[in-house]
Amino acid sequence: MAHINPPGLPVERGKVHEFANSIGAEEPLYHDEVAAKAAGLPSVVAPPTYTSTQAFFGEKNAPNMFKELGLDLRYVLHGGQEFYYERPIFAGDILTAEPGETNITTKEGKRGGSMKMVDTFTNYKNQDGELVLRVKNTLLQTAGVVKE
Amino acid sequence: MSDTFESIKTGDEYSFVKEKFTRTDFVRYAGGGGDFNPIHHDQTFAEAAGLPTVFGMGMLTAGILSRVPVEWFGATALKSYGIRFQSRIWPGDTVTFKGVVNKVYDEDGVKHADLDLTATTEKGEVLIKGFSTVRPWSS
Repeated sequence: MAHINPPGLPVERGKVHEFANSIGAEEPLYHDEVAAKAAGLPSVVAPPTYTSTQAFFGEKNAPNMFKELGLDLRYVLHGGQEFYYERPIFAGDILTAEPGETNITTKEGKRGGSMKMVDTFTNYKNQDGELVLRVKNTLLQTAGVVKE
Repeated sequence: MSDTFESIKTGDEYSFVKEKFTRTDFVRYAGGGGDFNPIHHDQTFAEAAGLPTVFGMGMLTAGILSRVPVEWFGATALKSYGIRFQSRIWPGDTVTFKGVVNKVYDEDGVKHADLDLTATTEKGEVLIKGFSTVRPWSS
């Protein structure tokens, strides 16, 4: 697979459409540029969790991120994520992710032995340098398979 | 959508149900969202990790849950959206995605609503607890 990536995350109409379909969203402002412009918007709107695609964009090999954080892909769970929007994100925006701090904590879990929690913080700026979105992401690693 | 903000009050609800998630739903989200962790599509990999089968991406159910505030208040209304994953989604699960208004208030003269969000299976298992603050957005 070729990975030749431009800097930043270009928000593209086709990708917004595909992403919106993958979450079953029929919101016209995700799919229909004519509707978006009629609503006074520059283009279609990116869904709230659209930037999670960034986590896999520009990574030559996504599992390397897990290795760098000392995580075992088999036992990693996504704990949660928080998005704080300064303004909507539109197709045509080019976002740049600025990684912030990473906090790693270990605590004793109830089911899977000790659990490692990794919180990462990312700020997204647009092509005009405006802060558009702040994201906190939490990954959890159990000591073994969590059987529920 | 601005009508929604005019009339919104604490306790108001909005929900929808997605019937029987399929592996195809997971694979479609792998393409849409870019998450190709094999634990979500590769049966052999899932079994090697000690699981009965593949499970869905948290961000798939989180993406679907985000439709609650969007369908209710509009695509540009979100000021925040947060989720905590409680349990995993498996093929065959039928899930109710729901929002409840827990607070309505004015901030800088603009009406805001804080929502509690949940995604719950038909067996009563909570997959996600989430929150969102919505307000009318203008550029």
